[in-house]
Amino acid sequence: MPDASVPVVSMRNIVKRFGNFTAIHSASMDIRRGEIHALVGENGAGKSTLMNILYGLLPRTDGDIDLRGEPVRFANPKEAIALGIGMVHQHFKLAPSFTVAENIILGSEPLKSFGRLDRIRAERETKAISERFGLNLDPRAIIATLPVGLRQRVEILKALYREAEILILDEPTAVLTPQETRELFATMRSLADSGHSIIFITHKLREVLAVSDRISVMRQGRILSTIDNKNVTAQEIASLMVGRSVLLRVAKNEAKPTGELLLDVKGLTALGERGETAVDNLSLSVSAGEIVGLAGVQGNGQDELVECIAGLRRPVGGQVQICGTPLRPNPRGNREAGLAYIPADRGDLGLSLESSIWENMTVGHLGKFKAGPFFAATRAKQRAAELIARFDVRGATPDKAAGSLSGGNQQKVQIARELTRDARLIIAEQPSQGVDIGAIEAIHRTLVEMRDAGRAVFVVSADLDEVLSISDRVLVIYRGRIVANLKAADTDAEEVGRYMGGLDEEPASVGALPKETQHVV
Amino acid sequence: MSFETTGSGPGMAVLNFCRPAVQPIVAVLIATIVGGLLVLALGENPIEVYGLLISGSLVGVPNLLVTLQMMTPLLFTGLAVAISFRAGLWNIGAEGQMLVGALFAGVVGYAFPMPWFLHLPLAILAGFVGGGLWSAIPALLRVYLGVNELVVCLMLNPIALLLTGFFATHVFKAPGPTNKLPDIAPSAALPTFSVYSQVNAGIFIALACCIIFAIINVRTVRGFEWKIMGLSPRFAYYGGINVPRRAIWVMILSGGIAGLAGAEQVLGQYGAFYDNFSPGYGFDGIAVAMLANFNPIGVIVAAFLFGALNGGSGVLQMMTGLSKYLVQVLQFITVLVLAAQFSWDWLILRLFPEPPPKSPDAVEPVNATPTEA
Repeated sequence: MPDASVPVVSMRNIVKRFGNFTAIHSASMDIRRGEIHALVGENGAGKSTLMNILYGLLPRTDGDIDLRGEPVRFANPKEAIALGIGMVHQHFKLAPSFTVAENIILGSEPLKSFGRLDRIRAERETKAISERFGLNLDPRAIIATLPVGLRQRVEILKALYREAEILILDEPTAVLTPQETRELFATMRSLADSGHSIIFITHKLREVLAVSDRISVMRQGRILSTIDNKNVTAQEIASLMVGRSVLLRVAKNEAKPTGELLLDVKGLTALGERGETAVDNLSLSVSAGEIVGLAGVQGNGQDELVECIAGLRRPVGGQVQICGTPLRPNPRGNREAGLAYIPADRGDLGLSLESSIWENMTVGHLGKFKAGPFFAATRAKQRAAELIARFDVRGATPDKAAGSLSGGNQQKVQIARELTRDARLIIAEQPSQGVDIGAIEAIHRTLVEMRDAGRAVFVVSADLDEVLSISDRVLVIYRGRIVANLKAADTDAEEVGRYMGGLDEEPASVGALPKETQHVV
Repeated sequence: MSFETTGSGPGMAVLNFCRPAVQPIVAVLIATIVGGLLVLALGENPIEVYGLLISGSLVGVPNLLVTLQMMTPLLFTGLAVAISFRAGLWNIGAEGQMLVGALFAGVVGYAFPMPWFLHLPLAILAGFVGGGLWSAIPALLRVYLGVNELVVCLMLNPIALLLTGFFATHVFKAPGPTNKLPDIAPSAALPTFSVYSQVNAGIFIALACCIIFAIINVRTVRGFEWKIMGLSPRFAYYGGINVPRRAIWVMILSGGIAGLAGAEQVLGQYGAFYDNFSPGYGFDGIAVAMLANFNPIGVIVAAFLFGALNGGSGVLQMMTGLSKYLVQVLQFITVLVLAAQFSWDWLILRLFPEPPPKSPDAVEPVNATPTEA
């Protein structure tokens, strides 16, 4: 049935800027009727942004969108829905205390006279539509009692109830078990066969190969190419995704790890937000005098791992030692043990955006400004002014709110605070996130200086280039386990990218990892 | 490829500078105007009515003393609420804490006679302990079980009222028809100064508390930690501040100060614990704290204003056909306008939109790597 000649959706040269920052440079893609079109790319490549533009959640800066040959410009999702576009977000937007039928009709309720809700019709229609698409659901079930896979069905039915012909699924498999994933794929296939077009956002390559008709690869705000899913290998897509862009190699000498393990993780197991095993019997270690990078596609357990080490999450098993001290269940204890932690979540965790810069720089250094119960605010402000100069925080004065700074300069504030602590273990999460190139170099140089001064540096980054350029040793995390332990000098983006995609699942060399870790050290 | 936030123009700076003082003043002004319209609708002359309110509360020593008397409990409850709100803890249970504190002070005041220099401090301390214990309940539930302290505080208010009422009518009831505890011993009484009003030494304790907390807030490590905790608890916890422990103690301190309001009422104004004595000082404390922007010195100003309104309302009722509850209407409108600070933020955002997006998928490493132009 797929009609290859006329695209249902045609996006041409879409540009999206946020201020001076360009999220999408020039993206073009066509969606055909009745196809499953996979949109792949690393985190931050711009996939969700592009789809949010199509769905009317974000206005585009430039470019054209044609829907069934007609140019369209949606001011909000309502207009997109009216023209048959549906989107299932990664985080479901359902009312948990409502029933399936109520959720499906929410926003376009069938009414009786005097605006009363026609509950019977709602349930009948819900039943009819779920049977029509072969998605079995009890219309009267309360959402909160349903497993994740069924909630997703409700989301999909909700879009279909509004007669969506183009369905955008934003990382639908991220929350599903393998069985649920298989069921979802069957659903997607039958929808496509009945003439629906499905855009499937993901970064799991095996799924792409298993289910899609065509594949568009996105990197750094551009659609690099759209290829048919014929005779393509995962390796080819991976290398397209990761790219071969020039690495910003950091000038640094050979690492001289002393072998003194400042971070030692043994058999760590931790649960994620949904109770799934996010970190799975994971072991790693970082020695004084080396920079270890942790590469991995986001959502493979790196957040949970770092939260455990920082004392923000309780592990369910395993041991962690920070500078020889066993892990404590709160951030205070671990900081005292010698941990400096630069979190990726600047806005909520690493900074208080409403507070002034000097206050942000003073938290964690309160001991220095204590005189009995009293607090030497003047000295703290002086120190903040010095740090602003030393770390080149642009547009900052100690009394300004941290939130008034640009992202890169906010990052410098937290880096200044954390790296001036007397801590021997430094964990830097996405250290160059949102930072311009000049500042990245400064940050990387500082981290290398820290290494040469005998500290241990552990960098967690979704940016493969960054991991490769700064690290002495690269670990790859996949599904909560370390699947590779590579010397940065001997590896390249393609090899690491392969491990990141979980393509080499049974690598013989990774069997006895703790031993190997020590061997490399 | 750096991007500067456009929200940092000179206009923004001016607005930010004025904000703490402007907001309460605007709120009071709007309340005055709305109240004036209300008075007009009721067939009275607003200028006359406001004149009466002012002269009835501020002109002449007796009127001024009544205002000070009305102001004293609001100083305590306002400060109590301000301390907890500033640290991000929504203690709206000052009413209940005040009642329990009053009961404790009342019991110690009559049951354990001893020399005044022991008895009075002990009775005051009892008020503090009573309020602190009552606020420890929501604090502990919050920290150890994650129960929302706002809800618990709210529910504990009527419980405190009925519980203290039970003690006043059944357990320690004084002989006679009134539901009250026996009168306190003179050795536990807070000295008063004048026959015109019940204003007593408690006001000095209240003012001292405000000044002490003003100093704590800006000059001590604790004050700094409370502020950070209030603005961003996750950041404070991450940064090594012992947030759970601080939260418990802030709540206990806050409750204790609310308890002092009860002690002041019992030891200085009524001379005994009476069942259901409070006209809602604990709730008015929330309004005072909000008007003060959680600043202890601001609490003095706001409590004075509310005290004057309460003091003047009696005169108003005598001289015109208006109910004294008009004053409460004015107070509530003030709070209502203050609560609109959310829309103030919305307005700022409208005037100075923030350009960088929050969407993590959009910001990340795109500009961290060289872009092929």
